Amino acid sequence: MKTPSLPTPPRRRRGLHLTAMVLALALLFLIDTATRYEVAVSVFYTVIILAMAHALTWRGLIVLSGSCVALTWLSFLITSYGDQRAGLVNMLISTVAIVITGYLACTAELARAAAHEAQARLLRISRIHSLEGLTTSIAHELNQPLAAIVTSGHACQRWMEQDPPQLDKARQALQRILGDADRASGIIARVRKLSKGEPASTRPFVFNAAVREVLALSHAEMQRLDIAMRADLAPGLPLALADPVQVQQVIANLVLNAMEATALVDVARRTILVESLQQADKLVFRISDGGPGLPAGAQEQVFEPFWTTKHEGIGVGLSISRSIVEANGGHIWAEPHAPGGAVFTFSVPVAPAEGEA
Amino acid sequence: MTDAAMVYVVDDDNSVRAALEDLLASVGLPVRAFASAAQFLAQPLADVPACLVLDVRMPGLSGLEFQRQMQTLGLQLPVVFITGHGDIAMGVKAMKSGAIDFLAKPFRDQDLLDAIHQGIAQDRARRLADADRAEIGGRWQTLSDGEREVVQLVVKGLLNKQIAHQLQLSEVTVKVRRGNAMRKLQLSSLADLVRLTEKLGV
Repeated sequence: MKTPSLPTPPRRRRGLHLTAMVLALALLFLIDTATRYEVAVSVFYTVIILAMAHALTWRGLIVLSGSCVALTWLSFLITSYGDQRAGLVNMLISTVAIVITGYLACTAELARAAAHEAQARLLRISRIHSLEGLTTSIAHELNQPLAAIVTSGHACQRWMEQDPPQLDKARQALQRILGDADRASGIIARVRKLSKGEPASTRPFVFNAAVREVLALSHAEMQRLDIAMRADLAPGLPLALADPVQVQQVIANLVLNAMEATALVDVARRTILVESLQQADKLVFRISDGGPGLPAGAQEQVFEPFWTTKHEGIGVGLSISRSIVEANGGHIWAEPHAPGGAVFTFSVPVAPAEGEA
Repeated sequence: MTDAAMVYVVDDDNSVRAALEDLLASVGLPVRAFASAAQFLAQPLADVPACLVLDVRMPGLSGLEFQRQMQTLGLQLPVVFITGHGDIAMGVKAMKSGAIDFLAKPFRDQDLLDAIHQGIAQDRARRLADADRAEIGGRWQTLSDGEREVVQLVVKGLLNKQIAHQLQLSEVTVKVRRGNAMRKLQLSSLADLVRLTEKLGV
């Protein structure tokens, strides 16, 4: 299974970085060569290394540092005026500075890469986790059409066995069986889509349809917990521009949280409201639960890693949700719900395309 | 099934409901299906032996809760539970509260039909007993107070003489009242009289 990742910055920006780097190197080399030995221009190579620390991999940083050292030495050889001894000392100091800077940048880059890797892994864990939370629901959701198929099959058999066989009735039963089989395979397709470890792909998609798919999968669990769920999805929304699977993962996560919170209160108060709407150039998903609500002042904390109010929670769901939403160009926030409970809201950009949902 | 009967199906899943309706129709059972307990309650029940096939989990009111509510509403239908995700605890609870059977979806058609037939038979027996009780209750109402007093002492095993003494009556009066009571209740033996009073709880 491929590890899903957050969307990376566009290629164009990286190219721009590299061009700027080459120009800066060339400029610095010319100045260094043109100035006297006593002027230690080559120390400024470290600035370039630091500037590129986030744009290059650790291998790239080693190459860059090596190039800087080579250019420093080349300048030393080409420059012909000034105090050569001072120039030699300057060159050595610059070399040491460049090597140390390069080393530090490499270490930082390696740490960043490791963090990114860990985050990607957490992302996958959370996806599996949210699917796990929905397993009961999915099983029940799938069981209904299967039960209907079995019962219709029996009925069909009995119509056929009558004398004379009731072919019309049997045909109707078969028709229902086909419809229910379609329904079952639709559920499986939805689950597969959610669990697939596809690399991130940002594309326009119908926001409400994505919301509905997740809600359909959580339907049975809502029933099991006696939760009355109301979906208030704004019609005619424009397409969203994000990774649909990741967005669904965030939705699933928020829905699961809301269900868990709501299940803690009296049956009469177990309500969840799901809304979608447009705010300027963003599409907004909002879920309000009737649970016990967040502790005072925890609205920001909930998104921090390993912060949780649940007994069995590890506190990564919301922090991952925030990473996903922000990587997709949106925001996520929490507010208290007026009659008690919590409201979680996130936004994703509207696709600039001409298509209407 | 020679006599009239009716099966009520309450399940919120359209596919399952349609399939059940068709299955029962295929074996010639009259059936009426509803998407919720509220819809079911909104309809007047047919005056025939019946059985209720009830999904345990439904939006609004769970099947188990509904079964409890039926008692307070005076509904005495036998219930066959069907469930999508039943656990043992739930099954035990359902059976303890008097369900005919507890079937996990998907179930064998014969299991369901057997349970339904058992439910209908049970309902028929209950209806007959009810009618019977109503009839003898009516007969009991025709007895005079004096005759009832005598009958109540007779079934305790007292002799006519003892009854006469206790009620401060002559033995002849006791004999006459006893005879009248037996005639009005259309009974011929003391044993029948004992059974009848037991049935009536008097």
